[in-house]
Amino acid sequence: MAAGGTGGKTYSFKVVLLGEGCVGKTSLVLRYCENKFNDKHITTLQASFLTKKLNITGKRVNLAIWDTAGQERFHALGPIYYRDSNGAVLVYDITDEDSFQKVKNWVKELRKMLGNDICLCIVGNKIDLDKDRHVSVEDAESYAESVGAKHYHTSAKLNKGIEELFLDLCKRMMETAQAEERLKGNGASQSASSRRGVQIVDDEPQATPAGGCCSSG
Amino acid sequence: MSQRTERRGGIHVDQSDLLCKKGCGYYGNAAWQGLCSKCWREEYQRVRQKQIQDDWALAEKLQREEEAAYASSHGPQTQPPSQSTPPHPQPGHASLGPFSKFEEKKTNEKTRKVTTVKKFFSPSSRSAPKKETQEGKTPSPSVSRRASFDTDQVSKDFVDFLKNLQKPGREIHKQCRAFIGNMSSKKDLSADELSECVQDFYQNLADRLMGHFKCSSESVEQVMDQVEKYIMTRLYKSVFCPETTDDEKKDLATQNRIRALHWVTIEMLCVSFDEEIPEVSENVVKAITDVIEMDSKRVPRDKLSCITRCSKHIFSAIRITKKEPASADDFLPALIYIVLKANPPRLQSNIQYITRFCNPSRLMTGEDGYYFTNLCCAAAFIEKLDAQSLNLSPEEFERYMSGQASPRCSGSEEDWSSPAPAPTNPVLAQLNQNLEVLSGLSGRQEALMEAAHSLQADLLSWPESVQHEVHDILKKYPLEVLPRSAPAIDDNNDVDNDNLPPPLTPQVV
Repeated sequence: MAAGGTGGKTYSFKVVLLGEGCVGKTSLVLRYCENKFNDKHITTLQASFLTKKLNITGKRVNLAIWDTAGQERFHALGPIYYRDSNGAVLVYDITDEDSFQKVKNWVKELRKMLGNDICLCIVGNKIDLDKDRHVSVEDAESYAESVGAKHYHTSAKLNKGIEELFLDLCKRMMETAQAEERLKGNGASQSASSRRGVQIVDDEPQATPAGGCCSSG
Repeated sequence: MSQRTERRGGIHVDQSDLLCKKGCGYYGNAAWQGLCSKCWREEYQRVRQKQIQDDWALAEKLQREEEAAYASSHGPQTQPPSQSTPPHPQPGHASLGPFSKFEEKKTNEKTRKVTTVKKFFSPSSRSAPKKETQEGKTPSPSVSRRASFDTDQVSKDFVDFLKNLQKPGREIHKQCRAFIGNMSSKKDLSADELSECVQDFYQNLADRLMGHFKCSSESVEQVMDQVEKYIMTRLYKSVFCPETTDDEKKDLATQNRIRALHWVTIEMLCVSFDEEIPEVSENVVKAITDVIEMDSKRVPRDKLSCITRCSKHIFSAIRITKKEPASADDFLPALIYIVLKANPPRLQSNIQYITRFCNPSRLMTGEDGYYFTNLCCAAAFIEKLDAQSLNLSPEEFERYMSGQASPRCSGSEEDWSSPAPAPTNPVLAQLNQNLEVLSGLSGRQEALMEAAHSLQADLLSWPESVQHEVHDILKKYPLEVLPRSAPAIDDNNDVDNDNLPPPLTPQVV
């Protein structure tokens, strides 16, 4: 998925934002992309699809952040959203035990569907409300470690921890992409990997003539 | 410049080095490649002329190749090589002649809404339209002319675009042509295999442009957009909703499903639209129009931009209502609502078509891709929608689905009696307005027809009445042409003459 990763040195990453309704997903991403919080002057028409261009150690990164509907009734639609994504930011509200439980469900599902190709970030939001905390720091961090995810504490209101969260995630996604490139090398398999959800079987007889006709024609 | 160095450093420069290289005797200039102004101008004109001629030659060559490709791709189409069904309708269908001809025309319309509507009414004859689409390959001249006009326009644009690319342009054109030729022989492949072929082609071409011609990723993107437009316009007919898939059946199912869910309200979906605000309802109507329009486009990218436009209108509506940017929590329910209200034609086919044949880079990470994914979600949600997803009890849901009750009027009876409860739904408002206009128009039409009828009757009866009158008058005053008897005038021979006293004779007294 690192489109042009070898040639133009530009990585394109898709990151899904998962989490229950009121955990502050939108505030988090608006803070990150627009640096605004509950602001009447937010210029963007929508906060469901935002992009951010980064430059990490000399490599250009285009980050596309996909917000998902957090209501319970849309839970079943998750796979359609997170298909082909490089990273997932799972947000919970530290004052809401339930929202942390939801995150656990998401993690299970993501690992089952996408394996270890996806970089997971578990984010405890609203640390400005620490006095009402219902999810303990130790629980959250040990859980994150147990599933191979990183844990962060953020506050969209106070603009804490958000920049670090995304920067860290980007670095990890770049590592994954580079490892993948090295593993597959250049050539046909790489091109196949950059396709969206189409299942490609290596010995598919139709694929070969199609490739042959184009190069010969 | 060289003169100055000569003076400063004392380097000797021969006089002849400063002269025009053409040897005309004038001094030359380094900026003009050592020529004098006159010779430079001549040289420059010559090179430019040559460049222009080369460009023309390339353009003409592309055009010729284009025409050849067009002819070859149309050759096999007019005569399907190995179709199991005969191209002509079976004898039994012969009686349907004029009707199927009409249907065939309709099927070939760009917006194939008619087919879907027609299928609604005759679900049993599902095989019939398929046959017609095959017949559609030998269409009536007017249809083929229009279709080929579209394709020609696209081809022309494509060639124009490639002209600017010089050498890669020629290669791209050659590959596209070969690919389309190849695809026409692969009509029997399944949809997924067709998709595979097209995606492979995109990938190979993009790789080649990147690797061989060292194009920047932006320009590759541009080229790929044009390639997609060109290829998919040509392949559209054979790969959109192909017969090998059950896309058509799914379309029908979705359409019926959405019809059955007509009662779903904005509150049940928790959509943050305040349709009392005219701007919001305006945006809602526009969003509905956009999502319906998707079906009329041929190129996957054009279809995507319809979805994007629709989404932008939804965002505007949410923004106006909530005064803050819309999150996915607001957007998805709103999109579902719009899809339910719009019931876009051939929704599943369109989704499948875009998934199969769109340029993957656009679909995967771009903004368009996000909105498209949401549309897929909306379609999936509608398919699986149940009582729980609308926060209703299963009984209520059942009652609404079976049409025994309707959430809108379950409240008060007097709502029914009141003449016109202001419709909250802008679509309904629009519908009502349209209905009013229509009924007004039909009233006028009726009046007009009545007048026309009476005029006709008048006209018919007029000669009769005139005839009657003439008859009556004739009867009343029968015209008897009496024989012109002489005695009537000549009274000399009158018989009664004898009874008359003798005429007075003058007497002489």
